[in-house]
Amino acid sequence: MFIQLLTHKYPGMRLWLSQRLTAVVMAIYIVSLIILLLITQPFGYATWQESYAAWYAFASPVWFRLSTLVFFMCLLMHAWLGVADVLKDYVFNKTLRAYMQMAVDIALVVYLFWLVYILWNV
Amino acid sequence: MIKLGDKKLGDKKKLRPKNLNLFTIRLPINAVVSILHRASGVGLFLALPLFILAFKTSLDSPNHYFLLSNILNTWYIKLMLIALSWAFFHHFFAGIRHLLQDIHWMTSLQKARFSSRFVLWLVGFSVCVFAWIIW
Repeated sequence: MFIQLLTHKYPGMRLWLSQRLTAVVMAIYIVSLIILLLITQPFGYATWQESYAAWYAFASPVWFRLSTLVFFMCLLMHAWLGVADVLKDYVFNKTLRAYMQMAVDIALVVYLFWLVYILWNV
Repeated sequence: MIKLGDKKLGDKKKLRPKNLNLFTIRLPINAVVSILHRASGVGLFLALPLFILAFKTSLDSPNHYFLLSNILNTWYIKLMLIALSWAFFHHFFAGIRHLLQDIHWMTSLQKARFSSRFVLWLVGFSVCVFAWIIW
C-alpha cells in the first residue's frame, strides 16, 4: 500500500524519500568510517611507504570496497536530486536548464564508472 | 497600470507582482541555515571530482601517495580543505536537522531557532577541530 501510495498517488514523494534515505545511508557510512579510521589509524607512520601500505590494507577488504561503492551510489543519487532541485529553482530558461541537467547527469554517470574502476583495482 | 481583466487566464501568472529585492528581506536564522545547506551542497558537488581524484591517487601507488601527501601539505591547499570541511560539516549537521524536522522533531519556531543556533555552533566547533588536526 505504501509503495502504491508513493508510485501512483504521489510520484514526487519517491524522489523526496530517496533523497532522505540516501542521506541516512551516507551519514551511517561516514560516522562508521571516521570511527574506524580513528581506531585503526592507517596513516602517520614514520615513513610514507609504511603509511601507504597501511592505507592500502585499510582500503582493500571486499566489505570496505562494497560499502564504499554503496556510499558513492547514494552520494551520486543524492547529488542528482539536489542539483535538479537547485536548477529548477534558479534556471528559468527551460532549454538551458535541460542542457545543464544533461551535463550534470553525464558527469554523475562518469563519476560512477570512475569509482567502480578505482574500487575494482584496489 | 496592468489590467488583468484584459488578459487571458494563461497570461495572468506572468503579470503577478514579485518582491525579489533581496535587500528588503532580512533572513531569519533558520533561513540562513537552510540556504547555507543548499550552498554547501552545491560546493560539495563541485568538489566531488577533485575528491575522487585524490582518492584514486592515494591508492594508485606509493609514489602517487607521496605526491598527494606533499600536495595536501601546502598551506593554501590546507585552507581549501578547511573551507571544504566547512561545506561538509554544515551540509552534514544541517541535513540531520532537516531530517529530524521531517519526522516532526523540534518544529516549533522557538525550538527551530535553537536547533539552528546549535547547528551553527557545532559546525564552527567541528571546523576548528578539523583545522587543528590537519595543521
